[in-house]
Amino acid sequence: MLETISLWLASTFSEDVAMWFDYFTNGKHLTWYASVRFTLIAAIAGAALAVLFGLIGASARRSVFPPFRWLGWGYITIVRGVPDVLIILFFPLAFEQAIEWIMAQRACTATELASGSWPPCADAQWYLSTTEYLVMACVSLGLVYGAFAANVVHGAMEAVPKAQLEAAKAYGFTRRQIFWRFHIRQMWIYALPGLSNAWMLLLKATSFLSLLQIADIVLWAERLGAPNFFARAGMVHPDWRWRYYFVLFLFYILMTILSEKFFAYLESRASRGMRLNTAPASS
Amino acid sequence: MSELFSAFLGSAFVNDIVIMAKPALFNIYFALASLPLGFPIAVGLALMKNSSSKILSGIARIYIYAFRGSPLFIQFFMFYSLLLAFNLSHWKPLGIDHIVMHPLFIGPLVLVLNTSAYVAEIFYGALRAVPHTELEAAKAMGMSRIQSFRSVVWPNMIRLAWPAYTNEMIFLFHATALVYFTLPVINEQKDLMNKAGELFERDYNVFLHFSVAGLYFLVISLFIFFLAGRVQKRLNRHLMPDVQEALTLKPNYLR
Repeated sequence: MLETISLWLASTFSEDVAMWFDYFTNGKHLTWYASVRFTLIAAIAGAALAVLFGLIGASARRSVFPPFRWLGWGYITIVRGVPDVLIILFFPLAFEQAIEWIMAQRACTATELASGSWPPCADAQWYLSTTEYLVMACVSLGLVYGAFAANVVHGAMEAVPKAQLEAAKAYGFTRRQIFWRFHIRQMWIYALPGLSNAWMLLLKATSFLSLLQIADIVLWAERLGAPNFFARAGMVHPDWRWRYYFVLFLFYILMTILSEKFFAYLESRASRGMRLNTAPASS
Repeated sequence: MSELFSAFLGSAFVNDIVIMAKPALFNIYFALASLPLGFPIAVGLALMKNSSSKILSGIARIYIYAFRGSPLFIQFFMFYSLLLAFNLSHWKPLGIDHIVMHPLFIGPLVLVLNTSAYVAEIFYGALRAVPHTELEAAKAMGMSRIQSFRSVVWPNMIRLAWPAYTNEMIFLFHATALVYFTLPVINEQKDLMNKAGELFERDYNVFLHFSVAGLYFLVISLFIFFLAGRVQKRLNRHLMPDVQEALTLKPNYLR
């Protein structure tokens, strides 16, 4: 099909147009376009996990049982205190080692275990594929931005007017009903601006996937833009990397614009039937 | 007791802390080199965005949106490869290639471009929040625009923006971790992430090395927070003690 379009372009416009069309639809470029899926999967799955970890973190933070409260506080503080890229690199490495350690206990002999090298023996080596790295990237993104979300949710839970909950109590709702039907429901409108902000950070952090050996859009941009001196390998061109990175720059800006639109819609939906005398605090 | 103490001093943990002291200086350098440069640019951008001229505010708006809406990681790659593409044709003939292509130059350059957009947005928000009544009072006193900027707008803007600016300083410090993921490492010029990665490749002790690197980031972030808190106190020294109390710096979690 691509060849037909190329021939049609050559006959209708010029050879030049067809040449550029061929260049932008060659195998490498098609792979580049397809690799957007890693970014999108990581962003969406990471965000879903972040909301989950956020709710867990916020509940721990608000728990009546002090050790849970300290755990929640520690989680939020530590993740906030170190760069996101550190945790995104650390978690997959640590998880891989933990699994390899368990494998080593079974597969390796005692002398190999005592040797101090890693992994102790060849059987305990866990080779990770892109899928496994992607899953771990999603979990790490979830862990990092879950802490941000936990803080937002914690603040939003506090922001729900006490009178609303008291009214629910006066009507005879049980504690659980008040929590799920009033507190959580009304929390969203206060949490959405902060969650939108955390989503933007998460979206931008999806550019780190190449650090986990995933052939994502960033890695392909580098490969495609690298100078090519051999006509056999396709179009001969100098260093075009900055052009490809510029495309990614625009891609992320476009994603930000779309996200803003989406969150504006969500906010208008979540505030249906609510009269807010003060606009929810945006950070 | 002293044996325990010397065992602690000789431990791998303390050893790592000593090894990473120098790499930490590189992170500190990147932050210190970009903050003072980013500040005036951000003030200029904020004033541009707030100006009545459509063109000026449009330029500032696009700049701020673009740099806040795209990852710093991509910005690093983009500017590095852009400078690299013009190396042979421009920088080498001018004889400035060893400066322009040096990571200690490109690092702060990109960080300044990035942070000035974030800080400009903070200052813009603060500019919009400057109390109208104070501006009107300045006008009624017959102050010129420059006079009222100096005595009303500027102090109010800094005071209102300070908590968010503190937050941004910490985010910028964390962002310095990205520099050497994109720029070439020259000899022993390594930052914390680099050093942690290098030590990790030697003995695969991921918990130790990354924790120590993380500890450095955590401690320096707390130090920035402490210093900014002192400045905040000074900025608000004219306020009543109970108002000051309400304005104490709390960590913010979002950039």
